[in-house]
Amino acid sequence: MSEKKPGVYLCKGCGISDAVDVGALEKVGKNEFRIGHCVVSDALCSPESVASMQKDVADGAVNRMVVGACSPRVMADKFRFDGVPVVRANLREQVAWSQPAHEEDTEMLAADSIRMAAAQLAKTQQPTPAALGEISRTILVVGGGVTGLTAALEAAQSGYDALLVEKSDALGGWSNKWSMRAPHAPPYRDIYGNDIEALIAKVKANGRVRILTNATVAKTSGQPGAFDVVIAHGGQEVTEKVGAIVVATGWRPYDATKLTHLGYGASPDVVTGIEFEAMLAKGAPVKPSNGAPVKNIAFLQCAGSRDPNHLPYCSSVCCTASIKQALQVVKGDKDAMAYIVYEELRTPGTAEEFYREAQRNGVVFMKGKATSVDGKAMTVSYSDELLGEDVPLGGLDLIVLATGMVPNSTNVDAPAIEPEKSEAQLKDDINPVAPIKVSGYAHGEGSPWPHIDKGVPPGGPILNLQYRQGPHIPILADGFSDSHYICFPYETRRTGIYTAGPVRRPMDMAESAEDATGAVLKAIQALEGGAIGSSVHPRVGDLTFPKIGHEKCTKCRRCTVECPFGAIDEDEQGRPTVNFARCRRCGTCMGACPVQTITFDNYNPQMVNDMIEANEIPDEFSEKPRILVLACENDAYPAIDMAGIARSHWSPFVRIVPVRCLGSVTLQWISTALQKGYDGIMLMGCKSGDDYQCHFVKGSALAKERLGKVGETLKSLALEQERVSFEEMSIADSCRAPTVLDAFAKLVGDLPPNPMKGF
Amino acid sequence: MTTPAPAAAKTYDLSFARWVRDNVNGGDKLNLCMQCGACSGSCPIGVQMDYGPRKLFMMIRAGMKEEVLSANTQWNCTSCYRCVVRCPRGVPVTYILQDLAAKSAEFGYAKGPHENKNFAQAFWWSAATFGRTDERLVTMRYFFSLGFGEGFKRAMANLKTAIGMVKTGRMHIGLPHMTKGRKGLKAALAKAREIEQRN
Repeated sequence: MSEKKPGVYLCKGCGISDAVDVGALEKVGKNEFRIGHCVVSDALCSPESVASMQKDVADGAVNRMVVGACSPRVMADKFRFDGVPVVRANLREQVAWSQPAHEEDTEMLAADSIRMAAAQLAKTQQPTPAALGEISRTILVVGGGVTGLTAALEAAQSGYDALLVEKSDALGGWSNKWSMRAPHAPPYRDIYGNDIEALIAKVKANGRVRILTNATVAKTSGQPGAFDVVIAHGGQEVTEKVGAIVVATGWRPYDATKLTHLGYGASPDVVTGIEFEAMLAKGAPVKPSNGAPVKNIAFLQCAGSRDPNHLPYCSSVCCTASIKQALQVVKGDKDAMAYIVYEELRTPGTAEEFYREAQRNGVVFMKGKATSVDGKAMTVSYSDELLGEDVPLGGLDLIVLATGMVPNSTNVDAPAIEPEKSEAQLKDDINPVAPIKVSGYAHGEGSPWPHIDKGVPPGGPILNLQYRQGPHIPILADGFSDSHYICFPYETRRTGIYTAGPVRRPMDMAESAEDATGAVLKAIQALEGGAIGSSVHPRVGDLTFPKIGHEKCTKCRRCTVECPFGAIDEDEQGRPTVNFARCRRCGTCMGACPVQTITFDNYNPQMVNDMIEANEIPDEFSEKPRILVLACENDAYPAIDMAGIARSHWSPFVRIVPVRCLGSVTLQWISTALQKGYDGIMLMGCKSGDDYQCHFVKGSALAKERLGKVGETLKSLALEQERVSFEEMSIADSCRAPTVLDAFAKLVGDLPPNPMKGF
Repeated sequence: MTTPAPAAAKTYDLSFARWVRDNVNGGDKLNLCMQCGACSGSCPIGVQMDYGPRKLFMMIRAGMKEEVLSANTQWNCTSCYRCVVRCPRGVPVTYILQDLAAKSAEFGYAKGPHENKNFAQAFWWSAATFGRTDERLVTMRYFFSLGFGEGFKRAMANLKTAIGMVKTGRMHIGLPHMTKGRKGLKAALAKAREIEQRN
């Protein structure tokens, strides 16, 4: 690499020069960091200033720069120069807009911002991506239902080959069995004919789609852009190279034989919604017991759903399905009456309009929980919440139990692989804060959420991943595949493998088709990203990757165990090897590594260490405490920025260092900060737990776990435990951020100063 | 369900909801009711009803035929239309109540001296005969329809009020007020009856 020529560019605009002495900041760069090339501009983002920066780069005057201006979250496109690492010092949102003008403390904060940026720049390199180059552009779709068919078709129409693998002998899945379908087009009132045949024909006619029925996936290895998939088909095993995988294995109905309390099995006239659908497909429904026409029919919603003894969750489609079936009944026979007994009718999205249509057509809705079902007398008793009494609905011809959806996140027909091992792994994976089963971390006995243990579904893995972390795609408590449902729902915890449709969450045909489309687009992004070495969500476009210093590595395996995405495998000698295209660049491995030998080109333990040390710590008599905030750049840092935009003020003693994820925080940084003389340290990041918001799934949970050890260290140093704190902060918490910072500053200010100051 | 007839025991009749839908004016809109209670909350005389319109509608759905048809709810409705104006789902509450009253009388749920029914009949007699409601005649007809003894008792009890009203010019003595075009009124009512028969 050629000689490092750093430059410092400072902006006076947006009120920065009204609040701080920019000239003094220039001196920090010049005198403390010996950076000769310091430029002050009235508005750094103006075309003239950007052009002059471009000229400096072109002339070879600078090849790396500190930009002291606004937050790194804005103007990224302006301050981007080819091959030039740029580090931003946030002088606007977190100094000028959030601190009183020209106070001594404000000036100190601004100077520290420049110091941290300069220290960061010294350890930043322009990344050289780990590109795969040659990749497979085929997308494997597992499951031939409406989701899988749509996924294959969308992939083909986007110019990618699709390989559709279906376990059964026919395409269409459950959709084959539906007589009609709920509305999926405006005005969302009419029942539509089932158009699955047309979709199947379209897929079959497409030359880019290869279909394998009676086929399953036997084994999967590799990474996005270069998966090797062994497909069992017709007694043979074929290896296929694919670039990405869409898992659309769908769902199965909840086992109704467990619903004897709702009369199932007592009479042939008590059926499930699925069975009734088959009756409707044959024509006007008749009583299974004697063939008489059905005149009075009751639908019992939440049959085995939202029930702690059965499925604890709402399947979201059963209400719409029952409405559809009731409408078919009353429209088919003017004399027929359909009663829907519900606790809460859940018709998400446009299905609300469909619900009204059913009311207009005379379907009777009864609000209450079914208390008893007499399958012999065909009477449903329910406690009517609107009347406040028990009402018997007698003389029914048919009782339909609206059962819920169970995700096919495992292959129930296949035996579990190494049952003991895979179950343990599954339990760890579904539990975002499961105790970590390698030495080094303190944790309590057992799982904090015992109910999750029961959520382990039966059967073998769908893809049989040949990963260090086991053969399964990680699942959540209720058995659905784990994904960050708020921000990037298709992303599973196995990069390049996307779940779509009801295996991810309960959904209907229209939603599944939409889901499939989204998943395919993400799959394309993943395989193309693999080709150029670029990350996928949430760090899209990041070209860095974790580099492991094998000479220092102790083979402790923490990184291979803790990677939330199963990106790191172990070679024969037990050394970690990174599958770069599987990596999401969160840095959780970096935070895990006890010897700090995992680094990224522009993010590494030494870099943050230097940033922490770069700040000036006033002596213990100055009454100016220093607080280090390690803020997650996904949620906490933007929340603080937004508080600045709102011109909220907070303690000037706070020094904020953005981190990729709290999972990347190494305990070394905390001990450095304590030794340097910081009086308090706060980790600020996303919510953890089974309703986590962490963008990297396990990062904040791991940080919390690791922090559990810090208390002991503090005690041994005779320091107060309150000095290190953990705060959950979501992006919506910007109004809370200043209060949290101030409260912590007060707490720390009330403690005696850190005795390590000045050593 | 064919035509309903009074039964002593409290029973739930699944077909009642369908019967209301098919036979009661506005009953086909009843299923649009989402039980928000805007009708009951708006009703100026809801306190005097056995059940508010919201509950009455839910009872219809639950098949509580006896309670519904013997309720005073439909009789106490003064047709102010506040519920109709406020109903977010466009349920014609007043029509349904009016027709439920007529149907409950028709099927013998308001047999014998029935305060609400008798008052309504006296009121309608005056309105249909004169095109006006005459307080004296409506009151007298209503009182004495409950039986001679009861009528005399009530008339005496209200005598002082009546004299006071006459003295202050609130009630007149003499022939009842009548509308000008009584012939036209009769013809209109006859036509209405004819249309009703036709349906």
